[in-house]
Amino acid sequence: MGPRRNEINTLDNTTLRSSPLFISSPVEFLLSPRRIVLKMQQGEGSETQVTWEDQQNINKFGRLNNRYHELEEEIKVAKEANENLEDASNELILSDEDVLRFQIGEVFAHVPSEEVESRLEKMKEDAAKELQRLEEEKESVLAQMAELKKILYGKFKDSINLEED
Amino acid sequence: MEISPSASTAGVTERRGIPGASFVEDVETYLKQSGLDVNSSLGFLQERLQQYRVVEMKLLAQQRDLQAKIPDIEKCLDVVAMLEAKKTAGEALITDFEVAEGIYSRSKVEDNDSVCLWLGANVMLEYSLEEAKSLLDKNLENAKASLEVLVGDLQFLRDQVTITQVTVARVYNWDVHQRRTKQAVKEPES
Repeated sequence: MGPRRNEINTLDNTTLRSSPLFISSPVEFLLSPRRIVLKMQQGEGSETQVTWEDQQNINKFGRLNNRYHELEEEIKVAKEANENLEDASNELILSDEDVLRFQIGEVFAHVPSEEVESRLEKMKEDAAKELQRLEEEKESVLAQMAELKKILYGKFKDSINLEED
Repeated sequence: MEISPSASTAGVTERRGIPGASFVEDVETYLKQSGLDVNSSLGFLQERLQQYRVVEMKLLAQQRDLQAKIPDIEKCLDVVAMLEAKKTAGEALITDFEVAEGIYSRSKVEDNDSVCLWLGANVMLEYSLEEAKSLLDKNLENAKASLEVLVGDLQFLRDQVTITQVTVARVYNWDVHQRRTKQAVKEPES
């Protein structure tokens, strides 16, 4: 019984450019397992202070970004499940058998076709609800991220980069 | 899943063995207080990041395991429910099960009173249907609760990583800024 889910990416390495310190160089590091780069660039000598509130906003943005990518994966899986159930119910309409083999756990139980039909309907309903729930969560996450972007760009302008590669 | 706000204060010390990253209000004061020069402090912070990475790998592995376990338990519950339904209906359950890869055999399961549950470590116990159901329910609950705690840990860990990375950037930038101002002061003189 090995892991069945897709592998979750890990944090990439922090890159600290070791160029001579007299030349301003952007210090890049990856804010999340995905490709967001939080670049704190040396401005023209003006040093914007980072307050605890800013830090909390950055943290929250990181968490939201992670959650967003997790949701993308989950939505993909949920969509597949929905499609499979659709295909199954189409097959069911085409078939004319009385007793079908319905998978429960690891075995296929012999189930009369009416029961299969009602079970399938219920599963389709649940899957559709799940997909909708995930989509809604994704919308909310994106909205929150947009809010935070406004705030953080407002304060740090060019010194921060919250986009994905 | 709710994204909980960063509930940690600026001085949270640790959570379940994960050292907390203390937020630096002002880089200069931080360096003076720690008594380290820029390079040593950057080194220390990098070390911290490495430690966090190690813990993260461990937590991610645990999360993967739990995420695989939960659907398994749910499948078992389905089977037990099916057996219960058949028992109340008084019918026998006919199933096709896998004997070897690609080879299935038919079985007729009568008198569904008990099931055997695999407990791990080569141990299998026989339970009545109700006992089996409550055991599986309990396992499922525990697994879900552990997963929640784990996710919380991961979020905390990632926050600490972010704080540390931002601190690294600020120390570095402060240093560049210092050298620049020193240079600017020197230039008019030379």
